[in-house]
Formats: sequence, C-alpha cells, structure tokens
Amino acid sequence: MWDLITNLQLGLSVAGSLKNMGLCFLGCLIGTLIGVLPGVGPIATIAMLLPLTFGLDPVGALIMLAGIYYGAQYGGSTTAILVNIPGEATAVVTVLDGHQMAKQGRAGIALGIAAIGSFIAGTIATIIIAAAAKPLTTLALLFGPADYFALMVLGLMFAVVLARGSVPKAIAMIFFGILLSTVGTDIETGEERLTFGWMEIADGIDFAVIAMGMFGFAEILRNLEHKEARAVVSAKIGRLLPNMADLKVSLAPILRGTAIGSILGFLPGNGAVLGPFASYSTEKKIAKDPSRFGRGAIEGVAGPESANNAGAQTAFIPLLTLGIPPNAVMALMIGAMTIHGIVPGPQIITKQPELFWGMIASMWIGNLMLLIINLPLIGIWVRLLQVPYRLMFPAIIIFCCIGIYSINNSPTEVLLTAAFGLFGYLLIKLGFEVAPLLLGFVLGRLMEEKLRQAMVISRGSLWTFIDRPVSLALLVLTLVILVASALPAIRKSRETVFTE
Amino acid sequence: MVVEDPAEPSAGKRERSLNLNLEVCAGIFLIAAAAAAYYAALPLDAGSMSGVGSGLLPKATSLGLAGFGVYLALLGLWGSPERIDGFSFRGIIFVLGAIVAFAATVRPFGLLVAGPIAMLISSMADPDTRPLEILLFTACMTAACYLLFKVVLHLPIPVLPPLLGY
Repeated sequence: MWDLITNLQLGLSVAGSLKNMGLCFLGCLIGTLIGVLPGVGPIATIAMLLPLTFGLDPVGALIMLAGIYYGAQYGGSTTAILVNIPGEATAVVTVLDGHQMAKQGRAGIALGIAAIGSFIAGTIATIIIAAAAKPLTTLALLFGPADYFALMVLGLMFAVVLARGSVPKAIAMIFFGILLSTVGTDIETGEERLTFGWMEIADGIDFAVIAMGMFGFAEILRNLEHKEARAVVSAKIGRLLPNMADLKVSLAPILRGTAIGSILGFLPGNGAVLGPFASYSTEKKIAKDPSRFGRGAIEGVAGPESANNAGAQTAFIPLLTLGIPPNAVMALMIGAMTIHGIVPGPQIITKQPELFWGMIASMWIGNLMLLIINLPLIGIWVRLLQVPYRLMFPAIIIFCCIGIYSINNSPTEVLLTAAFGLFGYLLIKLGFEVAPLLLGFVLGRLMEEKLRQAMVISRGSLWTFIDRPVSLALLVLTLVILVASALPAIRKSRETVFTE
Repeated sequence: MVVEDPAEPSAGKRERSLNLNLEVCAGIFLIAAAAAAYYAALPLDAGSMSGVGSGLLPKATSLGLAGFGVYLALLGLWGSPERIDGFSFRGIIFVLGAIVAFAATVRPFGLLVAGPIAMLISSMADPDTRPLEILLFTACMTAACYLLFKVVLHLPIPVLPPLLGY
C-alpha cells in the first residue's frame, strides 16, 4: 500500500512537470479535436499524429499519445450526443440516449454527465492500474516462452470472441495478420520471407503503414460511399452541470459502468468497445422502468460513458506489464514505444520507473484536463462538427501522407499505405473486420519468437505446452472460450449485445 | 427520375448491389491470398520441431487461411444469400491517386507542391466538392502543414524543389 503511494508520487512528480503537463494538455486537446470529427477513430488519429511526437523524449511522447487516445475517446462521445453519429465505435451506445437528451434540450447535461462519469471512471481505473502493475509484472517475470505463447493464443481467442461479426472470419483475419507479420527478413536465419524480391519490404512492413492504410484510407473510401446525413442539434446546449437529482441517479450507473469497463478493458479484444454495450444492457435490465431507455435516460449515458473510459485505461495493463497489446490502439502504442527505443514488457516498471509511473499518473491528470477543457470548449466542438466531409477527407489524406512519409522519410511507404488502404477497403467490402488482422500482425512476431524459444528449450517437444501448469491453464481456458462461443445460447446473447 | 421496382428490395438504395455472393468472394479472396503466400514461402525451410525454421509460420498460416477460405466459399454456396455492395470506384481512383501523386512528388518538388496536388486530386472523389471552396481550403491547409511540420516540428520533409536551393 505504502509502495503504491510512493510510486504514484513519483509518477505525479514526472507527469506534473510543466513540460509534461503541457504535452498532456496538448494531447488531450488534439485528441478531442480529431475525435470529434466523425469518421476518424482513435487508431487513425494516433497513427496520423505519431510524427508530432518524434522530437520528444520517450516519456513526453507517450504521455502525449495517451492524451490523444483518451481525448479521442471523449471526443467521440461528444459527436454521439450532438450529432447522432458515434465519433468512434466506443460511443455507439451513447447515441441511443445521449442524442435523445440533446433533442430534449438537455445536451449540456448529457455532455456534462459523460465528462464527470469519465473522470470518476478514469480515476478508479488509474488506481486499478497502479495496484495491478506490481503483482502482474512479478507474475510476468515467471512466465516462460511457452506460457507467453499460450497467453497470446488466449488473447487472440478473446479478441475473436469479443469482436463483432462472424467468428470464422475474425479468426481468418488473425491468420492473415500473422502471415503479414512474417513478411521481411527472418530474425534467426536472415532469410528474406514473402518479399517477392522487393527490397523495400525486406525489413518487414511497418505497423503504422498497415494501421494508417486500413484505418485511415480504407475508412475514407467507405465513408465516401454513403453520404451521412448529419443532423447537428440546433437546439440550445443548455446547462452543462447536472443538478443534484441527475447526479444522484447517475452515481450508481457510473460505478457499475466503471467496474464492467475495467474488467472488459483488461481482457484482450475489443474491451473498450464491448464495455459500453454491456453497461447499457445492465442498466436497462435493472432499471425500474426500462422503457425510458432510448428516450433520453441519463443512466444510459452515464454508465456506458464510464465503462468506455475505464476500459480505455485498463487496456494499458497488459501492454505495460506483459508487453502484449490487448487491442489495435495499444498495438499502435507499441509501435510508438519502439520508435522511441522502448521495449514494452515487464522490465519497464523496474528499469524505467519514471516512464511507467509517469504515464499512469498522466492518465489521471489527463482525465482531469478533459473535464476542465471540454466543458467550456463544447461550443467550439459544435462548430467543428459543421465542417462538411468534403473538406475533411482531403485534410485527413494530406495529414496521413505527411505522417507516413515522416516515419522513415520514404515515399515508398506512402505508396504501400495506399495499397493497404485498397486492401482494407476490399476486406471491409467482403465483410471482414480489420481490427483482428492488426492484432494478429502485432502479436505474430512475438508469437513466432516465443514459439521458437519454447521449442528450443523443450528440444522440440510440444508437451512443454501441457507440462507447464501456466501454459496448460491458459490453453484450456482458450479451448473453453472457443467451445463456449460456439454454444447456441451464448452465440445468441452475443448477437443481441451487438445488435441492441 | 428513376422508377423503382417494388419487387426489388434493395431498390432505392444509392449504391447498386453487385450480383456476387459475399461469402463466396470472401472465400476466394482468402484462398488466392493464401496461395500467393504459400508459393512465396515454398523455398523456405519449415525446419523441425526442435529447430523451427523460417518457413513454418508462413506455411502454417497460409494453409489455415486457405482452410477458412474454403469454409467461407462453401458457406456461400450453401445458403448464405448475402451480396456484395457496389464499390465506390470514384473514391478508389481519386483517393488512391492522390496518395500516389503525393508519394511521387514529395521528394522532387517538396511539401508545398505535393500537398496541394494530393488535396486537389482527392477532393475530386466527392461529387459535392466546390471549386472555389476547395482551392481556398487547400491554400490554408498547405500553409498550416508547413507551419506545423516544418516550423514547429522541424520534420526533415522537403519543402520546395531542391533546384530552388531549399
């Protein structure tokens, strides 16, 4: 306990420096700004803004990126409430009641409760991360290669089950991602793999290239297909601060949402996306009068918004303690860490405590900042929403192009990104989700490495996965999840969660 | 004025549906990708269990991918009636064209040329684009990008053609 406090103190002293506070503020602001724009999710936002952090020291860069991340999350909710379009996937449920509240002239209160709920959830999640960090890193150091491999298999299985859409298609995308991760020079033998003799990809495909192509450009292509009708609420935003009655009704949903979101966010897959859905259906189930939901119930905003923010933060736990990204955004964070020369994993906490605790403390500071900057800036966000898409997408394209070019100063990578844009668009058209592919791509290299190490240690015996209790437990769990997801009852409830 | 055929349920949708079975196409796509990957992985040695070679993972995953391809194709052939939505070719041509143009011009001509070219080409992807508006917007965005990436962040991206001495 005492440890926790001293650690957080260290973190606060790092994150509280004027420079890092400034970066955190800037990150939150830019993140919200871009998150507000519909059609640009957090993945594209972070990929696009990666070059902004090149000149910074690693701590500052990660603090700023984290700020961009939860800023984008929060911006997405603003769009959901005011325009009836979720700025990104985690805000889909907020649309249901948030926009109804806005139509009734309670937009300000909806935004206010979303911000307050997010802040409470963020505070609790920060404490959870801080408390879980030490034990988990200790555990991680006991993990052998076989256990790591099993853990990643489990993670990918979770990602499949928690993703939307068809399970076989999601697994296929993970295979595709792993396959893409093998492109380039083999680390052990030095052989070129799957490059088709093309020198430019001999070092492998850059993660940012895939992320930007499939989440930036492919999204633009999809958005251009159908013009959305944007109905910005023209009614008054109204009072921003909820009154006591509103707060009283919302407190329990906020806490429940935080609990649900924290657990789901920690799990691999779409934790931050699933959390709000789960929270919404919970609130609806236990409400005295469920018919109010969908007609502007404040619980329907408070719960999911808290779950979304809690999940967004606890998703950092596997990344920071085990070095395994639980979702695509965290995968991008790994990319950012590698650019700054940090190897993610259990050694961060002992070798770079300032980085680790500074980042955690900055999350809490960032949440506070979001609360402070967003409420007065809502007027600006509303005006921003009136920027038509015909102007937005050329701006996104130029930013992405400059961003990709700057990573390695390579025009070829810009071309490659365009190719992945087309590839991503094709996959979307064929009914595939691209997020599992990205996760497979990131975990692929790590999995191959761990598999090889495990096989060398066990002298080629596959029994090592079953002999080691940790790995056995993880693999059994994987199997249970796979079987469970195929059971009709669970399949049905999975479908209702997503269609609701 | 187009008269909608009431018998056709998708009539009235802006995008016309291509008459191709979604799952069959998805399956064929996976099989084709897997075949290409497996072919490229042929010379690689899969190794043995105690010394996993460079070829094991590429070969194993492409076989897995092909398996799912076959499964999806069969799924489509038996029952799944879903069709593919129409593609937005206008978007593909101008958006990707803009990116290619940027890649081709950024080194020789610099950001102040490549940026506007990319923006103007991409803007043609949207039929609603207004000429004057996009010209003004492009000028502002180019200036903003110059200030942000060059003046504030000092990224090593060329600004003007090197011939001019920049």
